[in-house]
Amino acid sequence: MTVWIPTDDGHADLSSHDAFVGGAPHNTFARLRREDPLAWTDWDGGKGFWSVTRYNDIAELNRNFELLSSARGIRMEDQSYEEYLARRTFQETDPPEHTRTRVKVAKAFSKPVVAQFEGQIRQLCDEILDEALKEGVFDATKAIARQLPMRMLGQIIGVPDEDLPWLVEKGDALIANTDPEFTDHVLDRMETDAYRMMPFNSPAGAELYGYAQQLMSKKEQAGDTSGVLHLIRQPDVHGNVISDTEFRNFFCLVVAAGNDTTRYSIAAGILALCKQPELLDLLRSGDESIWETMPDEVIRWASPAMYFRRTATRDFEIHGKTVREGDKVLLWFASANRDDAAFDNPFTVDFARSPNRHMSFGQGGPHVCLGMWLARLEIRLLFQELAKRVKSIRQAGSHEFLRSNFVGGIKRLPIEVTLN
Amino acid sequence: MIHVTWKLADGREISAEVEPGRNLMEAAIANDVPHVVGECGGCLSCATCHVYVDEAWQAKTGAPEETEDAMLDITEAERRPESRLSCQIVAAPELDGLVLLVPEP
Repeated sequence: MTVWIPTDDGHADLSSHDAFVGGAPHNTFARLRREDPLAWTDWDGGKGFWSVTRYNDIAELNRNFELLSSARGIRMEDQSYEEYLARRTFQETDPPEHTRTRVKVAKAFSKPVVAQFEGQIRQLCDEILDEALKEGVFDATKAIARQLPMRMLGQIIGVPDEDLPWLVEKGDALIANTDPEFTDHVLDRMETDAYRMMPFNSPAGAELYGYAQQLMSKKEQAGDTSGVLHLIRQPDVHGNVISDTEFRNFFCLVVAAGNDTTRYSIAAGILALCKQPELLDLLRSGDESIWETMPDEVIRWASPAMYFRRTATRDFEIHGKTVREGDKVLLWFASANRDDAAFDNPFTVDFARSPNRHMSFGQGGPHVCLGMWLARLEIRLLFQELAKRVKSIRQAGSHEFLRSNFVGGIKRLPIEVTLN
Repeated sequence: MIHVTWKLADGREISAEVEPGRNLMEAAIANDVPHVVGECGGCLSCATCHVYVDEAWQAKTGAPEETEDAMLDITEAERRPESRLSCQIVAAPELDGLVLLVPEP
């Protein structure tokens, strides 16, 4: 049995956020992989764009940063150079510049360093589940999936717990800036461009920056030089430091990026447990080896960052078509993760899947997710603790997806659990 | 083609013929060498293709460049003087017979 059967007619408009409210339009991706692997979409909100949907094509193009640059924007929306400079982080740069910045924080997010958080994360999982499972029937996204990455954020950037709900609300307003439930400034419905110089084109970026400035000055006064926010401000090997604007944008990125992606992976994993009951049995079977492979399968299945955009630096040919210099090219990682040329039974969740060379983290390119080890660890620990407590789990109402063609996520997931 | 051998921590060995010009992370993945992952595709954004170069070959593979050197600080297995990221070692005729040790995480 599969978890979820896509219902789109195979011809969804990939530029439309509304086309994603029933989940990613996987019938469309399947048709494009089969018939039109480099597909053009006209878009009334800006210049049209190319979509790459096959696993092997994305693997080839994602690493080729000289041909497909991140330095002209990484989402579908067009940016002027002025806007680009005002809003960019190292995510919107190419090697070697990208690497010089990334290396400053790489250690803090490396597997051995992240592994030291295990005890803390397990304790957070305990607290979250004790609280949520008391209810019997509840929204798993809100009560579980949203909680863990939010509370981890506090540990990573060193802020008081009472500030976290506000920070996450602002983070949601940035990333989910196309869903009216998360922001008053819905990106594709805005009539002014008042926020175009702000991170994610959102007023929440300015509020977060104010917060970051206060936080850093408090840390400075206290002589606190711990954490990634301090590391990113250190000079690189050439003595260059990032500007205040880039620091602001990095802060917004940290608040936003690690939060909703892990949240929506956890939510997708819980939905899988509801739809494929044998998965919970497997997690409860005592077979320890499953914990090596299940986090990556949850993350493949969820594919929360559905695409990243690149921009062609010169003309090139692929599948008999010419991509022109300056054209936007979207690499649909969510489609690659359902490509049956790369995965057996891609619509089935198989916690023992191995190897599992999914692309949810943008693997195979310089921008591979910095937080991937933390995400895997959070997911493993959360599901370990859940499996210890829960005997059965079922859906207690229909789930709802975010209105976004960028972030794929179940924003509401009513479930009912019975405990051991 | 050059001959490359990966020695695994459990004593197993995997050998393959590798086309000159190809980096040894890609070659390892193509030959299903365990524990060489290469999450970033050879772009120096991760350190998941870490290997130890066999003593006899260290002079020929050379020392890591600046960025590789920094990334070698975040390997999962212990960093040693013979540590390299295998994506930065490119198959070449003078490396025919190369031996790499793959650390167990």
